[in-house]
Amino acid sequence: MIRVFTGWSPIVLLLIAILLVLIVPPLYFLLKTSLYTTSADGSFGDFTFEYYRDLFSSPRFFSHFFNSALFAGGSAVLAIALGAVQAWIVERTDTPLRQYVFLLAVVSLGIPHVLYTVAWLLILGKGGPVNLFLMGLLGTDMPVLSVNSLWGMILIEGMIWAPLGFLLLSSVFRLSDVAFEEAAMMSGAGLFTTFRRITLKLATPAVLALLLLVCIRAFEAFDIPALVGSAGGVSVLTTDIFESIRKDLPSNYGQAGAFSVILMLLVVILLLVHHRLLKHAERYQTITGKGYRPHVTRLGKWRYITASVLGLFFLVLLVLPVGIIMLASLLPFYDGVRAELFDRLTLDNYRLVAASPSFRGAILNTIVMGAATATVVCLLTAGSAWLSVRRYKGGWLLDQLATLPLIFPAIVLGVAFLQLFVNAPFAIYGTLSSLIIAAVVQYLPYGMRFCYAGAMQIHRELEEAAEMSGAKRYATYFRIVLPLIAPAVATSWLFVMLMSVRAVAMPILLTGPRSQVVAVTLFDLWGNGQITSLAAVGVCWTALMMGIGLVFYRTARRYGLTVS
Amino acid sequence: MRLNVLSLQNVRVVLTALAAYSLAPIGPVAAATIAEIANLQGSQREQILVEGAKKEGKVVIYSAMIEDQALRPITQAFRQKYPFIEPEFWRADTRDLLNKALAEARARAVVGDIIEGGGVSQALIKAGILQSFMTPAFAPYDKQRYDTKGSWAATRVSYFGLAYNTRLVKAEDAPKTYEGLLDPKWKGKLCWAATTETGGAMMFITFIRLIMGEEKGEAYLRDLAKQNISNLTGSPREVVNKVMQGECAIAINIFLHHPVISAQKGAPVAPQPLEPVMSNASVVTLAKGAPHPHAAMLLIDYLLSKEAQEVLEKADYLPAHPDVKPQSSLQSIVPSMANLQERFLSEEFMFDQRAKSIDLQKKYFRSQ
Repeated sequence: MIRVFTGWSPIVLLLIAILLVLIVPPLYFLLKTSLYTTSADGSFGDFTFEYYRDLFSSPRFFSHFFNSALFAGGSAVLAIALGAVQAWIVERTDTPLRQYVFLLAVVSLGIPHVLYTVAWLLILGKGGPVNLFLMGLLGTDMPVLSVNSLWGMILIEGMIWAPLGFLLLSSVFRLSDVAFEEAAMMSGAGLFTTFRRITLKLATPAVLALLLLVCIRAFEAFDIPALVGSAGGVSVLTTDIFESIRKDLPSNYGQAGAFSVILMLLVVILLLVHHRLLKHAERYQTITGKGYRPHVTRLGKWRYITASVLGLFFLVLLVLPVGIIMLASLLPFYDGVRAELFDRLTLDNYRLVAASPSFRGAILNTIVMGAATATVVCLLTAGSAWLSVRRYKGGWLLDQLATLPLIFPAIVLGVAFLQLFVNAPFAIYGTLSSLIIAAVVQYLPYGMRFCYAGAMQIHRELEEAAEMSGAKRYATYFRIVLPLIAPAVATSWLFVMLMSVRAVAMPILLTGPRSQVVAVTLFDLWGNGQITSLAAVGVCWTALMMGIGLVFYRTARRYGLTVS
Repeated sequence: MRLNVLSLQNVRVVLTALAAYSLAPIGPVAAATIAEIANLQGSQREQILVEGAKKEGKVVIYSAMIEDQALRPITQAFRQKYPFIEPEFWRADTRDLLNKALAEARARAVVGDIIEGGGVSQALIKAGILQSFMTPAFAPYDKQRYDTKGSWAATRVSYFGLAYNTRLVKAEDAPKTYEGLLDPKWKGKLCWAATTETGGAMMFITFIRLIMGEEKGEAYLRDLAKQNISNLTGSPREVVNKVMQGECAIAINIFLHHPVISAQKGAPVAPQPLEPVMSNASVVTLAKGAPHPHAAMLLIDYLLSKEAQEVLEKADYLPAHPDVKPQSSLQSIVPSMANLQERFLSEEFMFDQRAKSIDLQKKYFRSQ
């Protein structure tokens, strides 16, 4: 056994040990949870397969699986379509003001999903302005649209992923060889024929891979289904997990565990498909040794049309939702958008936020959690990525381990860690540290991806030169490698920070009263009907995060790193 | 009772506690057991609790009271009375209160000293994580307002009924009886909290079974199901907000004081009690592993005091204390004052009937 590890550097072994300690216990407790009944005090009872049996014998499981699939597929298509249109306009045309789309996309990463969703529920809800308008138009007193439905979920989830779809697709469009397009144009093909038959075709494998990626993320999404679908009776697998925990007194974790294991297996299958797609995508590589330069299509008069398309996106994806939240934050109570509300505007909600120790505490906790999570993730992955890129013995295992948590949907990881912490021999449940540990595991794969990409760019000769000059291996790492991958690490830090603070699915199961975070506070405020306080907290938080998003945008741009 | 105060056992408890304090500087919790502190009696009681609470410096309450309406004002008032105790609170619905308390007990990481809300006592008693307590603050209350074994005491009373949007429904048209809800004109316009919480659909179903009997009750529910009630997921308070926003015309089984409070701020909503009016009591309980037992007992005493009950009264809540009358604005929804028939739904009954009511909820209303 020992012989297997001979020649493995102690630092590799140490990192492997840390990763194993982080990943194996939650996995173990998840499996155990799904196989044991829950006693009255919440502890593990008898061994049983009943939860799996229940799951597969229930017709609801399959209908909810179908909902999950429709929701994931629909929102992925919508997000990629919205992203693709923007990406093409920005990367391949001379539309005025196009450079600002990047900025807006990055900044919108700072809006918590819960807040964005609430905004759209207010806009599209039964008492919202859209329905009031349609009801007036059709002369009916019944709401025309019901947003608490599958299409409502798809629409909102699709819009949430649109900025990321844009960021990912813009690098695809930027990097593809334009020679084919030029040839098509020369042969007399028009602008749209060229787009349809060349640009789109070349981008197809990358687009498919992205489509699947967003699809997986939406499949795992908890917040939108919980806020939008549950109220309309539309259940998906992730909300089933949450509901099955909350349904019984005391909570029945067994059913949630079984659900989680099944959901995890489904994600594994999807990830394998994604992996295969990416492999094939290489065949379509179009960056060649020939001098490559991005080609910009001159649109002439058309560029005003494309500019208005961008303007429309800006309006719908950002101005409208942020606007209605700002409006709600200035009202004493929210009863829809109507003319007379302008007489009631007040700053009371902001006073409440400033005066409330619980809101201040949540904001502080979230910043600490985000910063600590990002720091630990970067510490673990900056070394692991380089060891893995340089093919140190055991490096492949580091890569595999750090990427493994991708198989856990956030809500599943939440169930796993909840059981782990509740059964831990020491008091850790409900603390901020417990949230950080769980978030580190969740975001390891993202940190790894950024740092891996950063490490790939460094040619070995720099390190060889250092070693020739007598530098020890660790000195080489700290004095040559680390400064060179620093921009990638910084980008990774900011990305993990932004992602971890807006997540709700895992913290909602793990937070205690002392470790409240903003996203969960927003979720609870929605459940308690305190829309105006929610809006005020949301506006303060979003302003803060948009600032960090701006820093992220500038670092990423300066070092030419793409966001993916 | 008076004699009891001087009984040998009580004196011993007091002396043990006092002696423990002088000998153990490590921490107040190690000094006397929580059970002893929770059941202190005699003239030294208040003093021992205050001394202990000064060392603890904190108390944590988990409660279902709405934060800005009642929970914050009442903890602030407590702070004014005992400036050396910092009260921390966390608001959640019953189910989350229970899950949090159970998980903390299991993780041996108890944070919440006190759990307060409707329907919290039974599941916690069953899990064996409550500490029974005894306090002179029980004295003015009716016997049915506290548990003789000391597991819980009522803090506030709630009455349940309908809330309707005054822009969408005229006062004279609003349903006045349970049968009135079956009128076809309300089809698609009714909503409720599709939960098993206090104020949720399950509670309404249990109540209907209680007042109508199993057979008639189920027939009523079958007819009610034809009205396509919107199953909302938030708390009953959120359901009232949905009514204010016009998302739903009439809400079933909400806390009747909620629409009264919002109507005072100018919101387009009004309460409508149905006879018999369902009532229940929210209770306060003490966690077995409470980290701040002295301060917790002071807070329990305070919550049951006339003083705190008046804070609740000012917040438009309905006090449990017999000497604190609800505000005049609420009198229309208090059965004894509005001359309406009332029916009390006990926590024990609700807990015992849970499974059956959830089955009916699933069968007819396809939620959960």
